[in-house]
This record gives sequence, structure tokens and C-alpha cells, in this order.
Amino acid sequence: MLSCGAKAIYLDYAATTPVDPAVADTMSEYLTASGSFANPSSIHSPGRQAAAATETAREQLASLLKVKPRELIWTSGATESVNLAAIGTARFRSGGGKHLITMPTEHKAATDTFAALEREGFEVSYLPPDADGLLPIESLASAIRDDTQLVSVMHVNNETGVMQDIERIGECCREKGVLFHVDAAQSVGKLPLDLSQLPVDLLSLTAHKFYGPKGIGALYIADRSGCHVEPLFHGGGQERRLRPGTLPVHQIVGLGEAASIAGTRQADDLLHLRALNERLWAGIGEIDGVLRNGSATESFPGILNLSVEGIEGESLLLALEPLCVGTGSACNSRSNESSYVLRALGRDDALAQSAIRFSFGRETTTDEIDAAIACYTGAVSHLRAIAPASRRTA
Amino acid sequence: MNGKSEPATYSELVRRYFANPVHAGLLPDEYNDFVVGEAAESESGARIVLSAVVDEDTLRVLRYQVFGCPHLIAAAEAFCDDAEGKAVTVLTELDVSSLMNSLAIPVEKTGRVFILEDAARALHITVTGTLED
Repeated sequence: MLSCGAKAIYLDYAATTPVDPAVADTMSEYLTASGSFANPSSIHSPGRQAAAATETAREQLASLLKVKPRELIWTSGATESVNLAAIGTARFRSGGGKHLITMPTEHKAATDTFAALEREGFEVSYLPPDADGLLPIESLASAIRDDTQLVSVMHVNNETGVMQDIERIGECCREKGVLFHVDAAQSVGKLPLDLSQLPVDLLSLTAHKFYGPKGIGALYIADRSGCHVEPLFHGGGQERRLRPGTLPVHQIVGLGEAASIAGTRQADDLLHLRALNERLWAGIGEIDGVLRNGSATESFPGILNLSVEGIEGESLLLALEPLCVGTGSACNSRSNESSYVLRALGRDDALAQSAIRFSFGRETTTDEIDAAIACYTGAVSHLRAIAPASRRTA
Repeated sequence: MNGKSEPATYSELVRRYFANPVHAGLLPDEYNDFVVGEAAESESGARIVLSAVVDEDTLRVLRYQVFGCPHLIAAAEAFCDDAEGKAVTVLTELDVSSLMNSLAIPVEKTGRVFILEDAARALHITVTGTLED
């Protein structure tokens, strides 16, 4: 009988993280009549208190990123931030040219947005990664043209954990006078980011990837000449008119608290993640036919993405229950679509469909990693045992 | 991860057969005289091999090997569980619609279950050919 046990093991921190209890406590103070529930745009005292809370949160996030508070715009999350960065910049700078650059391995938040910009008349170059998932700097340098306005690249890939060299990419953009946007949804609060030193013009983030609430994020817009976005929404003066709408105070203070906590424990978290990653790879990497997707060295240790030869992805995922992991397969009855990110790295459909993304967090234990190793090993062994011969040796 | 639609769901019966595939794998070593039938689908890469020990016109032992999704594995297990011990004509009587209904297999997976039907028919052809020899 195939069984990994009954207790769910959450290894999907790249999808979302639980809210830190201290964050939840802080948020609860801004919801009910006994707390600071007022509209922060109101001029009365409770409104001013609420507004002050949002500004404190802005300072907390600014401190984490080492930027000026006024360079941060609250949004509903990374998807909106990416939209505002890409569309807002493209439209604002369209008088100088309509060429944009990104990668095919970006999150859908970016690729779908750039596809929308193409329909609007912009020209987009999608620079392919190398086999490790990294952007070759020389290809970027040669792709930038006189009419290029924006380069958008994610810091840590959400599927593979591959970490782009945003410093070199940013330097290349600065040399060519092009704005550089970073989708940092997977790295803010997890990796040290000093935007006072990095050549980054715009940066998107979301709270729920670093133990904050869902539904709140931010866009960093550097206080530099020419670095500006056209708003996507209209209807109020909030957020310097760049993102109007009543501010969700409880979510904003939650993001601020999460940023503050991240600032104090980021280094310890990273050590923890690295140990978990190495333990899992040591336990699974020895299995015949298991392949790591993406760079082994230039990657965020909180994510380990593996494919395995001769195994059908959907069956592997079910056999891995109760592990809560991400999959490289569409895992959809109506589709055999495999991960476009892994295909861009050169994986064939079968390997891409067998991909499993393990992602870890603060609460992940070594016992859970050991259970995951046992479960994965057992599942692969079982599925190979029942497969026809040509598949067992595929 | 992104780029995907809604996740697959499985009935309790599919889960049970998937977790307990007692007819999966190779025939026990004691059986040297057996026949096989197989089928595959190039698009998904799914493949199934049915192996049978036939006594007179009865499927004495029936096993399957499969590369495919949980629905196909469950369908193969359900079919073999039912067909083992029955007359070889059962190989031509696989009712795809009925099997899909009983396992609550989504209609989008119909093609996978047809692979099982093709393998059963291939096995029947082999069996009848052997019986005629």
C-alpha cells in the first residue's frame, strides 16, 4: 500500500506563508470599534491616528529596504505592483520609445502584463535564460536599444528559486539609461536587499510571502529623475495619486510589522532555510534520475525544485500526499500543460510535468524534511515499480 | 506555481485504488506462460500493459503496468479487479462510460480510459490468437 501518513506537511512557503502571530495581533488593533479603524484620509483624530499607523508601517518597510518612506506606494500585492510598474512606466515614457525587455520565465503577473502592453502597441523582447535559469548579461546588453524604456526581471524565481544578479543587470540598465524593475515578491523579507546601494528603479513586493497578510503589497519607485509611473486607477489623492483608494490600515500595519520582524531575523531564517535545503537535497538527490531545476549555486535556499525521470507528474503529486508542495504540472484534468518556466530552461514536457517544488519557511522542521524524503523516495519507487519497462528505464 | 488552472480532484474510489493497486506490476515469477496486450497515447505519454495467465478461456491471473495519471491507474486496478477470474470475453466488454461513472473520472480524462480499453482489446486479440494456436 502506498502511504505517506496522514498528517499534512506544509512545504509550499513560496506560495504563501502563515501570518506571524505578532503580525496578526497588530492587525487586530485596527479593525474594530475599540481600535484604530478610521479612514486614514479623514481629518479627525481617529483618522489621523490611522494615517499615522500607515506611515509607521511605511517607515518599517523603508527601513527593511533602506529606502525613503516616500518612495513606497501601497498596493494590493505584487501582481498589482508589477502591473503599475510595467504599464505605468511604459505609458509614462512612451514618448521616448515603446520597447520593453523581460524574460519568459517571469511570473504570470509580469508575462501577462507585458502581453497586454504588446496589444497596446509596445514591443517586448523576451530574453531567454541559460540552462541554469539565469539571464546572460551580454544578451541583455545587446538587446537594449535606443528606444528601450524598461527592463523587468524577477529577483528570485517563484518556481525554481533561481536568483538573478540584479546588481549587474541594474548596472547594465543604468549604463544604457533604461529603467530597471525588479519583481521581488519571493525575496523581500527573506534576502537582504539594500536598495540604497542597488541600481534598481522600481521594485514590487507582497506581504504574504514574508509572514504578512494577503492583499497588501507595495511598489518602490526610486526618487530619481525620469523614474515615474502613470497611475492605473483614478479616484482619489491617496498614495501621491499614483494608487488612489481607501488604505486598508489593518493590512498595511500587518505588512509593516512583518517587515520589522524580517529585519531582525532574516539572517537566522536564511541559515535555517539553507540547512533544510541541503538536508532535502542530500536525501533525494541520490535517487536515480532526480534532477535539480535551475542553478545549484545562484538560488534562494527556501526553494528546491526537482524533476524525476520516468515518473508521471500527476501521479507523483497524489502519491506525495499529504505533502503540501507545488508542482510543475498543470495537474489539470483538462490540460497536460507543463511549466513554461521549466520548459524555458530546456526541460522536456515529461520532466517538466514531474517537477515538484519544495519550499520551506520558519516553521519547517528537520523532521518534516525527513518525512518528505521518505515520502518522495517511496512514491518514486512505487510508481517506477508499476510502470512498464521502457518507462522504468526512461 | 503559476501557469496552471484548477487542480485535479479525485473520488474516494480513485484514491483507494491508487493507494492500493494490488493488481499492479509484473506477474509473479511462477507464471512463465502468459500473454500481454498494450496500448499508449502519444500526447500524454500514458501507456498501459496488461498481462494475463489464461486457463482454458478464463483470465486466471491479470496484472497491469502503467505510466499515467491517477485516474488511469485507478481505472486499470478497477478493471483488473473485476475481470480477473472471468471469461476472456470480458476483455471486449469494458464499458468505458460505466467505469468512468463508477470512479467519477472527469470527462476530460476519457482519452486515458480509452487507452485501457485499447489494451484490453489488444490482450483479447492475443489471447484468442493463442487459444486458436
